[in-house]
Amino acid sequence: MLDGLKPELDYHALNAMLNLYDADGRIRFDADRMAARQYFLQHVNQNTVFFHSLDEKLDYLVEEGYYEPEVLDQYSRNFQRAIWDAAFKRKFRFPTFLGAFKYYTSYTLKTRDGQRYLERYEDRVVMVALTLARGDEALAMRFMEEMLSGRFQPATPTFLNAGKKSRGELISCFLLRIEDNMESIGRSINSALQLSKRGGGVALMLTNLREAGAPIKGIENQSSGVIPVMKLLEDSFSYANQLGARQGAGAVYLNAHHPDIMRFLDTKRENADEKIRIKTLSLGVVIPDITFELAKKNADMYLFSPHDVQKVYGVPFSEISVSEKYAEMVDDKRIKKRKINAREFFQTIAEIQFESGYPYIMFEDTVNRANPVHGRITMSNLCSEILQVNEASEFNEDLSYSHLGTDISCNLGSLNIAATMDGPDFGGTVEAAIRALTAVSEMSAIEAVPSIRRGNDEAHAVGLGQMNLHGFLARERIHYGSPEGVEFTSVYFAAVAFHAIRASNLLAQEKGASFRDFEKSKYADGTFFDKYVSRDWLPTLPDVARVFGNVTLPTREDWAALKADVMKHGLYNRNLQAVPPTGSISYINNSTSSIHPIVSKIEIRKEGKIGRVYYPAAFMSNDNLEYYRDAYEIGPDAIIDTYAAATEHVDQGLSLTLFFPSEATTRDINRAQIHAWKKGIKTIYYIRLRQTALEGTEVQGCVSCTL
Amino acid sequence: MQTVARAINWNRLDDDKDLEVWNRLTVNFWLPEKVPLSNDVQSWATLRPAERELTIRVFTGLTLLDTVQNTVGAPSMMPDAITPHEEAVLSNIAFMEAVHARSYSSIFSTLCLTKEVDEAFRWAEENPHLQAKARLILEEYKAGSDPLKRKVASVFLESFLFYSGFYLPMYWSSRAKLTNTADLIRLIIRDEAVHGYYVGYKFQRGLERVDEARRAELKDFAFSLMFELYDIEQNYTAELYDGIGLTEDVKAFLHYNANKALQNLGYEALFPPAACEVNPAILAALSPDSENHDFFSGSGSSYVIGKAVATEDEDWDF
Repeated sequence: MLDGLKPELDYHALNAMLNLYDADGRIRFDADRMAARQYFLQHVNQNTVFFHSLDEKLDYLVEEGYYEPEVLDQYSRNFQRAIWDAAFKRKFRFPTFLGAFKYYTSYTLKTRDGQRYLERYEDRVVMVALTLARGDEALAMRFMEEMLSGRFQPATPTFLNAGKKSRGELISCFLLRIEDNMESIGRSINSALQLSKRGGGVALMLTNLREAGAPIKGIENQSSGVIPVMKLLEDSFSYANQLGARQGAGAVYLNAHHPDIMRFLDTKRENADEKIRIKTLSLGVVIPDITFELAKKNADMYLFSPHDVQKVYGVPFSEISVSEKYAEMVDDKRIKKRKINAREFFQTIAEIQFESGYPYIMFEDTVNRANPVHGRITMSNLCSEILQVNEASEFNEDLSYSHLGTDISCNLGSLNIAATMDGPDFGGTVEAAIRALTAVSEMSAIEAVPSIRRGNDEAHAVGLGQMNLHGFLARERIHYGSPEGVEFTSVYFAAVAFHAIRASNLLAQEKGASFRDFEKSKYADGTFFDKYVSRDWLPTLPDVARVFGNVTLPTREDWAALKADVMKHGLYNRNLQAVPPTGSISYINNSTSSIHPIVSKIEIRKEGKIGRVYYPAAFMSNDNLEYYRDAYEIGPDAIIDTYAAATEHVDQGLSLTLFFPSEATTRDINRAQIHAWKKGIKTIYYIRLRQTALEGTEVQGCVSCTL
Repeated sequence: MQTVARAINWNRLDDDKDLEVWNRLTVNFWLPEKVPLSNDVQSWATLRPAERELTIRVFTGLTLLDTVQNTVGAPSMMPDAITPHEEAVLSNIAFMEAVHARSYSSIFSTLCLTKEVDEAFRWAEENPHLQAKARLILEEYKAGSDPLKRKVASVFLESFLFYSGFYLPMYWSSRAKLTNTADLIRLIIRDEAVHGYYVGYKFQRGLERVDEARRAELKDFAFSLMFELYDIEQNYTAELYDGIGLTEDVKAFLHYNANKALQNLGYEALFPPAACEVNPAILAALSPDSENHDFFSGSGSSYVIGKAVATEDEDWDF
């Protein structure tokens, strides 16, 4: 019997022992492994429906309406047997309790009463592979291999839903514009409801709405500004969560130079009045370069009435670069404006971030400078990694479209960096992932929101993400944020960018089609490739060269050849990479989340469906703890430097969370934001704080509470 | 003789601990409105009727104790304060106890029917064990009673008596139920931990000023009060938790917290480690730190009010 581990403990108690040191001050990884085993013995095995054969199982699941027959009908029964056989031969086991628990509570197919399990992990993987391969046997086998080996992990909506008969959408995430009229506001609320019902996160842009006190039909002081719209949206999302498989969640973005900006931020204040307090809606602020320059001079910043800006320029406020037109708008008497101190604005943001973690920040000019395609990026999404262009819609009085614009959706999936580096074919893994994500785009048509549908049809935008960076570096005994860690990140992401573009170019050749407006992009004129054909993105440090030992990296010549192919044949996907925060999927994939450092050696995970569960960082043992310094110890600068190295090669964004001890001040947060902006970071996601227990009040022997 | 009114000067500290605790309590300020309790409505519906009744009763019991601490306990200790800063900290404690009592009502109004809540309040007034422990504590809070004994009673209330109630929401959240309610309770626990620690600390400073005989008397008093309270608490726990078979587990948790309360007073543990083997899921659930939550579900319990410091020219060097 293992030391101190009582077999009669249930799996929750065993799992919680991870968070409590043993008598010798060592972390009890064995308790978690036992928790995973006990979970199967005490719970999963007893509650799984047993079938004698694959045929019996598939017939039952189709007849009872659990599986989509259309998915299975694309393949012969012989092939189905072969792929299931190959999957189960791999003897997959969950290495952590949370991985298994998360999979069985949130992903696997259950009987309608929710009491019994109908799938094991292998079944889910095969069904996803069969769905996305759309009848191509070789491709299905390849998808299955990539997923079961842990190299490629589709995002939750795809992994959860594919192949099931009653299901939500496969797409993760939606972004909608709102224009300054009642039709657009009404349509947006309807869209928010429709998309939440289908299980996606929705972000909306409020920048174009006229401010509180603006005239309506020429009568002054009529508009009530953005706050009531936020309230309506918040209520819509919480209503829709009663129907969907996962709760509705939404974000709103506002430009820093919108006159309602301070009220917008104050909705998250601890002492905000109930009428204006926003509890569950996420906030994001769009900040142009000019705001930083004004703060540098310690000057005031002007806020401009979107209503007047639209009248003067003939386009919505969001379509104007505030940095470019700032002086002009300040001098224009027709535009109503007010001013606040720029440094105080930044300080207020930091204060609110202390209290709530919000707002997210999007650096507008950085994002648009780095955008390789035609159009303007005006907002981001619920996780601040999606950065795509959109186009305003116009409406008739009956809410039908007089001009159908485009809104944004994104299909996400992530590579496990460690598994991909260990894999036999780096480029092949990236290509398979891009093909899988493209399939999600092609199979999706959100009829309820025509602007989303049009955007997806014309762009086939996908977002390939990455996870397990910290786990991989630690396994290789490289410190996160060290010169080696940063160089690895740069070389890795350059290689992923190469293969992602190569895959999209192959798709364009196969399908004979490119995304709309390809010819206006920096890919088409070749300028996108300048930085890849003029220098190498290869390892210079011995430790980095060592870990890439088995991976063939693209050279300058490879890039030049790719450039020629792209200029000749085009690209199928308008957007290719986006690095999401990867919560749930990194647990079932045994990864550290995204490319940020671990938040704690033992992470406490809480969510509605699973309660409080404890998760050990990937590859961690009592012998390599020194490589698992957490995000608070590593500090914001090293995280920003790592993200900057990745950002260079990612066409969309990366969810970048910054971590501070609660003794930090608003100035520390502001300095980190300035550092991030200077380094070319595109967006900042949450600000997270950790308060250490007052000496004498801590829970004794707790792993996640010790520094 | 005329009394001189004195203004509190936070720049002249007699005891640095006052400022340290003041700062901690103020950055920890919160209101129940920040927690999206309504996300627990569906989860509440999955509890069985007996479980719901238990939960409401547990929270009613906690409301009663918080009311005692808010209206009687903390104010009664103010005249005993040795420094004006201690008084200020106690007034903060009193206010936050009112916030806690208010929070339970937020839980009730979000999750329960008025009739159920009224019944539970009546139950609290009639429950002999709950009333007995409130009476014992109130006895020590009475005007004219011993200031140091008052502190003992207060520490036992904050660090011991609350926990038979805190057990249940921690238990639910480890079973993925009422997780937002648990977040709110964790905020309360975060406060109570500091309150118990601080009053215990002041008690120990008080002990330093008295002689050996008096110290022995106080220790006797503390342990006999603990025995009395423990007796009541055992019966209270059994009455509440026997129905769902958790009494043994809750008792281990009581032992653990009784030891903690005594430790706050500077005394040795009463219960041996073997009697304090708290279910790890509960113990681990107590820590509010660095919890990773998904934005689809809740707001977490780790944000604080930050210290605002203006940026300087050197920060804007680009």
